[in-house]
Amino acid sequence: MKKLLVVLMALMMAFTMVTAVAEEASDKQYVIDKGVLVVGITDFAPMDYKDENGEWIGFDADLARAFAAKLGVNVEFVEIDWDNKILELDGKAVDCIWNGMTLTDAVMTAMECSNPYMNNAQVVVVPAAKADQYQTVESLAGLAFAAEAGSAGEAEVTALGLNCTPVATQADALMEVASGTSDAAVIDALMAAAMIGEGTNYADLTYTVSLNSEEYGVGFRKGSDLAAELNAFLVEAAADGSLQAIAEAYLVQAALINQQ
Amino acid sequence: MSILQVEQLEKSFGATKVLDGISFTMEQGEVLSMIGSSGSGKTTLLRCLNFLEKPNGGRILMGDEVLFDAADARTLRESEIRKKRLHFGLVFQNFNLFPQYTALQNVVLAKELLAREQPDYKKNKHQIRAEIEEAAQNLLIQMGLKDKMKHYPHQLSGGQCQRVAIARALNLQPDILCFDEPTSALDPELTGEVLKVIRELADKNTTMIIVTHEMSFARDVASKVIFMDGGKICEMGSPQEVFENPQKERTRQFLSNYKNNM
Amino acid sequence: MQQLFEQITQQMPIVFRSLNQGFLQTLRLFFVTLLGALPLGLVISFGSMSRFKPLKWLTRIFVGIIRGTPLMIQLLIFFYFPGLVLKNNIWGSGEAGRFTAASIAFIINYACYFSEIYRGGIQGIPVGQEEAGLVLGMKPAQIFFKVKLLQMIKRIVPPISNEIITLVKDTSLARIIALQEIIWAGQAFMKGSQGISGAIWPLFFTGVYYLVWNGVLSWLLGKLEKKMDYFR
Repeated sequence: MKKLLVVLMALMMAFTMVTAVAEEASDKQYVIDKGVLVVGITDFAPMDYKDENGEWIGFDADLARAFAAKLGVNVEFVEIDWDNKILELDGKAVDCIWNGMTLTDAVMTAMECSNPYMNNAQVVVVPAAKADQYQTVESLAGLAFAAEAGSAGEAEVTALGLNCTPVATQADALMEVASGTSDAAVIDALMAAAMIGEGTNYADLTYTVSLNSEEYGVGFRKGSDLAAELNAFLVEAAADGSLQAIAEAYLVQAALINQQ
Repeated sequence: MSILQVEQLEKSFGATKVLDGISFTMEQGEVLSMIGSSGSGKTTLLRCLNFLEKPNGGRILMGDEVLFDAADARTLRESEIRKKRLHFGLVFQNFNLFPQYTALQNVVLAKELLAREQPDYKKNKHQIRAEIEEAAQNLLIQMGLKDKMKHYPHQLSGGQCQRVAIARALNLQPDILCFDEPTSALDPELTGEVLKVIRELADKNTTMIIVTHEMSFARDVASKVIFMDGGKICEMGSPQEVFENPQKERTRQFLSNYKNNM
Repeated sequence: MQQLFEQITQQMPIVFRSLNQGFLQTLRLFFVTLLGALPLGLVISFGSMSRFKPLKWLTRIFVGIIRGTPLMIQLLIFFYFPGLVLKNNIWGSGEAGRFTAASIAFIINYACYFSEIYRGGIQGIPVGQEEAGLVLGMKPAQIFFKVKLLQMIKRIVPPISNEIITLVKDTSLARIIALQEIIWAGQAFMKGSQGISGAIWPLFFTGVYYLVWNGVLSWLLGKLEKKMDYFR
C-alpha cells in the first residue's frame, strides 16, 4: 500500500516535468505536419461569428478556410480570451490570430504579422439624439469616454487629452453609453456598423467622428514563415477575384486593401 | 505446563522505563488480577501482550511457541504479529466499539473477516456466516443483551457497551482474555453488571488477566494477584497472600488506601 | 417596454440553446473534477500522513502551494506553461485541450483541499478504533475500509459539501483559458453573438442555472448527511 503510494507520487512529479521539445525549424512545416491550422478568434461579426448551425463564418473565417485549404490542412476555430492572444500564440494553443486584429505597434512587436488586408477606423459612438452636437473632434471636449482597455480606441482618446474610462471589452464601452454611465465610446468602425443603429440592440446609438484610420492584419508566431505564405496567398486571391467575392458576401468590400 | 510465560520483559518510552524485568507465568483456567497505582506499568504490560506496544527486551511464550523474543528479529515480523495477537483478547477501558455497527455486527465483524481467509469460505459462505452469527447471538444472550442486539453503541449504556465489547473479544476464542480497567469509565452503579459477567467467565475457567482498581473484586475473582510498582512486580501470590498478608511495605501502603471499600 | 419583452421573447430560443450548451460544459467540468479529486485527495492525504518524512513534507509543501495560490493562476500556468516554456503544447488544440487542462488544474486544486479535509477526518478518529481492530486480528486495509472509512465519511460530509458548492461556482474561473462554460456563453450576448448584442438578461439567467444546480446539490448532500445520523 505504502509503496504504491510512493510510486503514485513519483508519477505525479514526473508528470509535471513533461519533456520539452526542440523548436521546429519551420512553423509552416509544423502546421502541415499536424494537419490542422488552429485559428484563434473571438465572436466578432462580421469577421468571425456563428451561423444558425453553430458553424464559424464571416470574412476572416472564410478567408482562413481558403488559406488552410491552400496549405492542404484542416482548419479549426478556437474562441480565445482576447487579452491572452499572445500567450495563446506563443503557447502553441493556436497557430494564428485572425479576427479583425488592428496592426498596432504592440501587436507588430509581439507577432509575425501579415500585410494589412482591410481598413478600419476608430469611431465615436454617441446617443443618436445628441449626434448633431458631436460632428467634429473639437466638439468632443468635456465628454466622458469609455473605451476597451489597451485598444487602439483608448490610445486615440488619450492622445487627444480627453477623459477616458478603460473597460474590459468594446461591447462594455457600448453599454456604458447605452446606460448613460459614459457620454461616448470609441470602438472599431466595422463593429459599430454591425452592432449599433436601426435594427440592433443599440438602436438609440449612432457613430459620428472617425478619430484615425487603421488596418487589420493576421498575426502568427514571431519568426513564423506563415506570414509570408499568407501574403503570397492574399496576392493570389486578389488576382483571381476570390478575395473580393468573400468581402462582398459580408458587405465589407469597401474596406478591402489592394494586394499586389 | 504453563500456558503463558513472560520472561524479563522490558519497555521504555524514551528515557522512562515503564516495564523493568517483568517475569511471571499463567496456567490454563487461571485468573490473574493485576493491581497497582496509575503509571505502575499494568496497562503497558497488557498492551505488550497484545502487540500494541513493542517491548525492548525479554521474551513472551505461549506454550511452546515463542511469540516474542527481543533477541530474535524473526519474531518481530509485522506479518506474523497479526496471527499472534489472536492468542489474546483485549477489553478496553473505553470499550472502543465500532459506532457504525450494531451490537451484533460488532461481535460478528472480525470473526467473519477471519473466516474469509479459510479456503472453503466461498463455497460454504452462507453456512459459515450463519454459524458465526449464531455464536455471536449466544454470546450476547450470555451477556444479558438479548434484546439489545440490533442497537447501536450510542443507544446503549456504558455497562451494556462494555458487555458487548467482552462478547466481541470472546467471539474469537482467545487463549487469554485481557481486561484493561474494564469498569473505570463506568458510572458506579453500572460496574456491577460488568463485574458479574467477568465473574461468570471465571466460573467457567476462562483464562483471564484483569487490570483493575476494584480491589474486592480483584481479590474475589483471582487465583493469582500481581501488585506492580514502578514498572516492576512488587509482590505476587494468591489473593490471600497479597491482600491479607503482604510482605512488602509498599504493598501495605497501597492497599491501605483501599481499606475502606474492601 | 412591450417592445423590449417582444425582443427578449424572440431572442430566447437562441440564448437558451447557447446557455444550455455552456451549462453542459460547466457540469462536465464539475463532475470530472469530483470524479478525479475525491479519490486523488485520499491519495494525497495518505502522502501527507506518511511516516516516510520526505514524502510527508513534499506533499505538505505541494498542498500548501496549491491551497495558497489562486486557482486562476494555476489554470493559466497549467494551460500555457507547457507550450510557452517547454515549447510543446501537451493539451492539443481546440476545446478538448482546454477542457483537459482545466480538468487537471481543477482536480489537483480540489484534491489538495479535499486531502486536508480527509486528513482531519482520519486523524479525528480515536486511536482506540484502530487498536480495537488490531487486537481483533484485522488487517490494516480491513481496519481502514471496515472500521474507519465510514466514520471518516460522516465527519467529512459537511466540510466536503461546502467545497462542492464552492466548486460549482469556481467552474466559472475556467473561462480565463477560454473554456466556454455558462458565464462565457451568457457574456457572449453582451459582446455580441448570433445577432444579439448588448443584452445583459442572459447573464442573469446564468445565475438561475447556478442557483438551481446548487439547490439540487444541497438537497442531495443534506440527505447524505441525514443518512449517516444513525450512528455517532
